[in-house]
Amino acid sequence: MNNIVVQILLIALAPILGGLIYGLERKVKARMQRRIGPPLLQPFYDFLKFADKRKMIVHSTHAFLGLLHFVSLWFAVAVLIMGGDFILIIFLHLLSTAVIILAGFSTRSIFSHLGANRSAISVLAYEPVLIIIAISAYMLTGSFDVSALYASEIPVLFKMPLAFIALLLILPVKLKKSPFDVSEAHQEVVGGVELEYSGIFYEAVYTAKWLDYIFVYLLVFMFGGANIWLGLVLVALTFIYINALDNSTARVNYKQMLRFCLWVALPIAFVNLLLTMFGVL
Amino acid sequence: MKLNKYRKKSPWILHYNAGGCNGCDIEILACLGPKYDIERFGMINSGNPKQADVMLITGPVTKRSRERLVDIYSQMPEPKVVVACGSCTCTGGVFRGMYNCEGGVDQYIPVDVYVPGCGCRPEQIIAGVVEALKKLENKTKEIEKSVRLEVAPVESDNQINRREIAAPINNGGKPSVFG
Repeated sequence: MNNIVVQILLIALAPILGGLIYGLERKVKARMQRRIGPPLLQPFYDFLKFADKRKMIVHSTHAFLGLLHFVSLWFAVAVLIMGGDFILIIFLHLLSTAVIILAGFSTRSIFSHLGANRSAISVLAYEPVLIIIAISAYMLTGSFDVSALYASEIPVLFKMPLAFIALLLILPVKLKKSPFDVSEAHQEVVGGVELEYSGIFYEAVYTAKWLDYIFVYLLVFMFGGANIWLGLVLVALTFIYINALDNSTARVNYKQMLRFCLWVALPIAFVNLLLTMFGVL
Repeated sequence: MKLNKYRKKSPWILHYNAGGCNGCDIEILACLGPKYDIERFGMINSGNPKQADVMLITGPVTKRSRERLVDIYSQMPEPKVVVACGSCTCTGGVFRGMYNCEGGVDQYIPVDVYVPGCGCRPEQIIAGVVEALKKLENKTKEIEKSVRLEVAPVESDNQINRREIAAPINNGGKPSVFG
């Protein structure tokens, strides 16, 4: 991650890579259910189809907030790839989520409101854990820069294993995967905040979902430190873990989700912070 | 750049039950399951009219559901196709001429493909959707203009209408409310 050309290429290709991950995920998911599944490039076919559909917007602010969601998420991914400030990354990601929550509340659709409510609750569930992981990283390296973690000779995984476990526990919330997919919940709120988007403006929200994959898997990759192969193995294992979990569990309600994240994931992250602070590992 | 050919590669389905008996709905859901697996053609049961391309309708259109039907249809952005699944949806089926429904879904919205059968088999539904996708690919911007339907109501055909053969209500010589 040191070469500037590689960084710029990764930032430019981030949505395409995310689309490939999403296509692979749909394929893997179908195989787990003994189906054949859609082709690998299916997300891009969807993308091209939506480009041609009629644009029906609720009001212009709503459509603009959808685009802003995509752009601010891309900024967060860019800062993460460039190895910037961890806190800045978390708050850029929070900004993009806040923007889409605003968009959800700006329409009159009740499903959109419910989805926005539930998205806000999901933020409440995963954000504290991420912040504590960032503080642990600061205690470890003495700087909030992610580049210090990328450059770490001993992989970060061995320095803060509990932080990795806490991250694994909140990833389904962040990626809106079962059992913590209340904010999307196609059977209950028909997609939540993305409900009122159509045509080319839905594309922004749909592509932002691909960027979310890149964001999350980069966070996982970070735990490999300077060892790129360890990072890639971690990403592959996390991918299988997320999909297996998504296929084998049912949805819990938002209270159970919040309780799990704040009573299980957050203490694990906090214990990790204490261990790092006193230099036990 | 012509993007028409990508329409048939990712048709997203909206499924609406206009007062049917759920037989055809179960067959539609069987298409989405592991045995027929229409997701391999990129179809998703999206459940959201604003992002759907293909509308699958089941059931005769009852009095209560017709407003919602037209509402949902008008919320779908063009290009879109409508597939009527099952005998009831095509013609009214056994419910034709009853007091609460008329002769099929094409009295209210334009239909592209009719899939007969009670209930229609999953193979038939897939064949019908494939036919609909051919139509979807050839849709032009013309479809975005609004049109007025010119289909006459069902009273004009030879079907027995139960309103007419029902015994008149004795309410003191005044004409019955149904007359």
